[in-house]
Amino acid sequence: MGKKYDVVVIGAGNGGLVAATKSALAGKKTLLVERHNIPGGSATSFVRGRFEFEASLHELCGIGPYIEGGRELKKIFDELGVSEKIEWVTLYEAFRMITLNDKENVDYTLPTTRKAFIDKVVEYAPGSREKCEKLFDIIEEANAGLDYLGTIQNFSTDIFKKIFGEYSDFINCAGYTVNELFDALDLPKAARDCFGGYWLYLGTPLDEQSFMHYFTMFKSYIIDGPVIPKTRSHGISSAILDRFEELGGEAWMSTAVRRIIVRDATACGVELENGDIVDCDYIISNASPYNMYTKLIDSRYVPKYQIKKLNSVRLAPKGFSLFLGLDKSAEELGIQNHSYFIYDTADTAKQSALTRGRAGNNMQAAVCLNNGLPDCSPEGTCILYITGLFTGDNAWDDVSEENYVTAKREFADRMISNFEKATGTEIRSHIEEIEIASPMTYARYLDAPNGTIYGFENTGSYGIVQRVVTDAVGKKINHLYYGGGYGSKSLGYSPSYSTGYEAAAAVLKNIEKEAGIK
Amino acid sequence: MKIKTTPLSSGIKDFTNTVLSLPVRFSDVAKASDKQAAPPAEFQVNKVAASLHPKTQTLIVENVESLTDDFKLYTLKAKNGKAAYFRAGQYLSFQAEIGSSVCTRAYSIASSPKEALNGTYRIAVKRVDDGFVSGYILDNWEKGFVITAYAPEGTFVYEPLRDAKTVIGVAGGSGITPFLSMAKAIDERTENFNLTLLYGARTEKDLAFKDELDRIAAQNGSFKVVYVLSEGKTKGFEHGFIGADLIKKYAPAGCDYSVFACGPEAMYAFLSKEVESLGLRKKFVRFEMQGVSKTAAKKAGLKNETCKVTVIDRGKETVIDGRCDETVLTAFEKAGIAVPVRCRSGECGFCRSKLVSGEVYIDDSSDYRRIADAQFGYIHPCCTFPKGDITVKIN
Repeated sequence: MGKKYDVVVIGAGNGGLVAATKSALAGKKTLLVERHNIPGGSATSFVRGRFEFEASLHELCGIGPYIEGGRELKKIFDELGVSEKIEWVTLYEAFRMITLNDKENVDYTLPTTRKAFIDKVVEYAPGSREKCEKLFDIIEEANAGLDYLGTIQNFSTDIFKKIFGEYSDFINCAGYTVNELFDALDLPKAARDCFGGYWLYLGTPLDEQSFMHYFTMFKSYIIDGPVIPKTRSHGISSAILDRFEELGGEAWMSTAVRRIIVRDATACGVELENGDIVDCDYIISNASPYNMYTKLIDSRYVPKYQIKKLNSVRLAPKGFSLFLGLDKSAEELGIQNHSYFIYDTADTAKQSALTRGRAGNNMQAAVCLNNGLPDCSPEGTCILYITGLFTGDNAWDDVSEENYVTAKREFADRMISNFEKATGTEIRSHIEEIEIASPMTYARYLDAPNGTIYGFENTGSYGIVQRVVTDAVGKKINHLYYGGGYGSKSLGYSPSYSTGYEAAAAVLKNIEKEAGIK
Repeated sequence: MKIKTTPLSSGIKDFTNTVLSLPVRFSDVAKASDKQAAPPAEFQVNKVAASLHPKTQTLIVENVESLTDDFKLYTLKAKNGKAAYFRAGQYLSFQAEIGSSVCTRAYSIASSPKEALNGTYRIAVKRVDDGFVSGYILDNWEKGFVITAYAPEGTFVYEPLRDAKTVIGVAGGSGITPFLSMAKAIDERTENFNLTLLYGARTEKDLAFKDELDRIAAQNGSFKVVYVLSEGKTKGFEHGFIGADLIKKYAPAGCDYSVFACGPEAMYAFLSKEVESLGLRKKFVRFEMQGVSKTAAKKAGLKNETCKVTVIDRGKETVIDGRCDETVLTAFEKAGIAVPVRCRSGECGFCRSKLVSGEVYIDDSSDYRRIADAQFGYIHPCCTFPKGDITVKIN
């Protein structure tokens, strides 16, 4: 039944929204279906009492307010015509990193921009300036190399000259872990801690974490600059959806897809949960490859290579977030910073081991939104959200329906104590609204296997380059593309938007190519 | 396999490392099992999530008991033997097809969370003057009746990280049910706080669940109940309306307490002013939602005028009748258009829809929309009144 679409996009998360809008902008008849009644996936917000809580975004990189013309994501939003619908606020503080282990005595507050960051690191690690400069040089060159790779349209021998000449740091470092690089530079401990502070955002400890991936993210925060949207990430999701509809795209919320229809090894439609069939030429899935290949596509049609690829990687950490509406201002409470990383220890391997389960897991990223967006809550109040991770696969397996609320409250309770201990504040008695999201919550809202919020784990042998290469080969289902946080650029807002964009670009290119053949 | 080189020592070695990481990756893929991995639903975490939040639950009326005039207690049994677990104070929504209408209504759960583990919920339904659905339920639900319910929802729950250790509960009429659930949960040690319940009714015979409440209070020191009658004078009862004086009388001396209230709109109108006079911090005052204010339309000067509501449902347009003094959701319900609905008070956001064109009125008291939703023209139809012809995209 129904009309035929050029492109059906499954899921209105970050990747799906951008993919759909790019497709509609190119004049393709596009349908976007989303099982929730609201777009955004993780990029959403919710209201409790007099507070509107951000669901997931701490800082957005990729817009690049420090770079003239902005960075990749800004360009995507400009091209799609959504930039004018979103108001950004630039953040100048990078993060404050504190360890709970008193002996380590780590309490570093770091700013953005290369110069300011290095100046501060040198304060904490005297004499490390030259090494810091060297590391930044490598980071910048490696990123430039990665950017260059993305611009290659046609193969030529010049590519090799460029890569081995101008971008040698990229090709030399792309196979290393972060710690291998730190070791090579013989970076002093305090400097390593400062540079490694962001590791929680990827969840893979730095002895395993792909250098390239980590420092792509690091660079976009420190060198390009972070922003936050004025109306939470729901403002971004709403803006993109609005633009998609302006361009004539059709969006159906509250519409779940039961399966992807495959004929002759080619995706050609979707069956909705109400039994309706929608025919189309192409599918871009924002539902993860995990969900596509284990539940949305009949196993008979899933190529063995895709199953093996899925089985060769591990699910990334599972998420936990605590959302607090406090009845005093950040200033009154003494919460000075926007973004905190609080660790048991700055040793990321040790920390990762401690973070396997719930007991003894004290790692957190906390954000006081008012310190980035002063009027985000009523006067005399503030919003604080705290995120934790579980690196193990079984951290919540002992939790049943019956002890669920108690288990998540216990964990949240300790998060509050740890925040107070690390920052020397008292917030407990000021909690006016509280919401707690556990791996079960992410399983519920994102249909994420095991409640992961970070897609697949990013290790040295599963970084960007390795992902791109193994994604490029092997048998696939024709006319089926993926854009989102489980893709080649891995998790996060910016990578999800950008892989969504790339998926739509690949579809458009293929449409042209096939039209040419005909 | 791990490549051993010292990074940056030699360009060639480093490059080799990058290149060699690819065979490592390919061999990881080659070595991996070709057996399909478990779908998300098979993870323990996902299983718990699904059982806490089923899309729908099929419930069967097992017993009907009259509580007071036009107030009945329904014992509902989950068809599959397991009712979704919940927190005392939460509600269940039911979808009812009545003639050509499709309506959803929310009722606080009167039974304890523990009972849900055995597949049982209890809800109490009271006939209200203009109650389309309550009348239908009271007249039609009998033993064996099959009901579709959604998962438990709601934020009217005790939260120790937020609330004071002692809660002064204020219940009016059918607003007793969430407190009954809380009292039972305290008694069963599912919850751990002190609840002093001020339970208001017109006369003694209007006090539903009195025996049960007295029994729990007698055996559990954390729960107290005080009955407040608004008509006549009866020994052993408090009298009048529940206000600041009574709350102060029963509140713990010298320490914080929370006030939780659940009852009809008229009670809230009086009580909210009284509570304000107590000077409590906002965090210590929680009123359960009770639908959009009945005076909202009148306050805005909206009259009983008909209008056209164009409904866009997955690209298909239908035109239905609406009324300016009734919510957009009411228009949907009367026309038999099923939309996701839970709280009917503006709060939960399940019915969130896009206002494509037309003017509407939303009372501040029930406007819980996200900032961006208001900016991009989204409404919660359950608390939105059409000012004239409107077009709404429901999904």
